[in-house]
Amino acid sequence: MKGEFLMTEPILRINNLHKKFKDTEVLKGVTLTVNEGEVVVIIGPSGTGKSTLLRCINRLTEPDAGEIYLGEHKIESAKSNLTKVRQRIGMVFQDFNLFNHLTALQNVAIGPIKVKKMNKKDALELAMRELERVGMADKAQNYPAELSGGQKQRVAIARALAMDPEIMLFDEPTSALDPELIGEVLEVMKKLADAGMTMVVVSHEMGFAREAADRIVFLEDGVIAEMGSPEKIFNNPEKERTREFISKIARLHGSDSEMPGTGS
Amino acid sequence: MGLINDKAFDVLRSIPYLLEGVGITLEITVIALVLGTIAGLFLALCRVYGGSFLHNFAVVYSRIIRSLPLLVIVFMLYFLGSEIINIPAFWAAVLALAMHTSAYQIEIFRGAIQSINKGQMEAALALGMSKYQSIFAVILPQSLRRAIPYWANEATIVLKDSAMAYVLGITELMRRSEYVSARTAQPMLTYIVSGLIYLIMTYAFTKSMAKVESKVRIPGLER
Ligand SMILES: Nc1ncnc2c1ncn2[C@@H]1O[C@H](COP(=O)(O)OP(=O)(O)OP(=O)(O)O)[C@@H](O)[C@H]1O
Ligand SMILES: [Mg+2]
Repeated sequence: MKGEFLMTEPILRINNLHKKFKDTEVLKGVTLTVNEGEVVVIIGPSGTGKSTLLRCINRLTEPDAGEIYLGEHKIESAKSNLTKVRQRIGMVFQDFNLFNHLTALQNVAIGPIKVKKMNKKDALELAMRELERVGMADKAQNYPAELSGGQKQRVAIARALAMDPEIMLFDEPTSALDPELIGEVLEVMKKLADAGMTMVVVSHEMGFAREAADRIVFLEDGVIAEMGSPEKIFNNPEKERTREFISKIARLHGSDSEMPGTGS
Repeated sequence: MGLINDKAFDVLRSIPYLLEGVGITLEITVIALVLGTIAGLFLALCRVYGGSFLHNFAVVYSRIIRSLPLLVIVFMLYFLGSEIINIPAFWAAVLALAMHTSAYQIEIFRGAIQSINKGQMEAALALGMSKYQSIFAVILPQSLRRAIPYWANEATIVLKDSAMAYVLGITELMRRSEYVSARTAQPMLTYIVSGLIYLIMTYAFTKSMAKVESKVRIPGLER
């Protein structure tokens, strides 16, 4: 998988991104380029700005300084282009955030209907295909409150995919899940990665990172402390801090966690 | 003994007359509720999502109205009206009730909107919806459901408060009760009868709102 895709164009370019909340500087100049088809896994201690970084990309959080480009398009908060840019970026949240009042199918269809003005019938058909893709077709008529965490997260992935995004952002998609439900979500993400989706994933699931990531980014204290291939970061990190952190999450999450059917 | 029965009968014979008043009571209530709900919901949206002018307007409006006795608002509108544009008593009563309830409904809807998890709005925005679309397609369908029991309670208050219209001489249920009580010299019995009528209306309304609530309940969700 790794290196299977030609790393062609950079699709996402983050340049010297800064963000402060009140007096605490959370992002202190992050620069990162993600190529088309690449899977980047971001790891780092709690509170280090991983979520903030993802949220700055689609402007759920407004950065203080720095530029972000999606393709050739500079992402800015001028209202005119923001909804356009967000359509091209799929986001999956830690706590799913499915729309509670809609069925799984409606959750997936609502984006194409409201945002892309697709007609209802086509949108529902598309939604059904996306649900099939994540193995949730049989729960299409269920409401979020009737689904398990893993099922919710798969529907949330389908919801993002229905917008046909150029890049997908995942913010700790499995950390709100019971351990036995993590596998089904990682499996879907793995399939997505194999299909060539560009992905930026904040996750401490080592098994997933090893198998699916092209690059691991170790974010600490608001800057990228180290970055490299999974082999390098996991086996031969340059920095002592990286090594410490890796062994810490290996202890917490298991060194090769929950990837179904991969037994390494 | 016979005397009491005669007079009691007199009151009972006035029930159709009282019921005609119910029609006016309901008219006042329904119109005031419709106007008050529209204004309350709109101002709640201003309060939560509006810029600072709309936000502050909603806050100040709600605070002022909620600190005035309803009767003061009724008289203010009536006399203001009669001095400037001559609002008929009926409309003075309706508008006063509408203003009064709208202030409380701002708080009901604001609470319901703010009770929706922030992640719902973020997920909608992340899909590329505008703020307006997010509010109408995602936030309101959920928060309006949550508001139903509180709104229903407020609606019964409006129904009962519509009795205030009697001070303007509108012949709604309360005013007619007063006439009947004076004519029959049976105030106690009369007011028990009109009390029962209010009770029945309130009960029927509360019951049907509970039905609505369970009908639109989101499967699997508590509350
Ligand atoms: N809206 C906000 N207002 C104020 N402070 C915030 C806000 N969002 C995040 N922070 C702070 O910014 C810092 C970074 O938060 P962030 O959520 O990006 O960290 P994280 O790396 O995702 O952590 P975790 O692994 O716990 O999810 C934290 O100290 C957090 O308290
Ligand atoms: Mg986070």
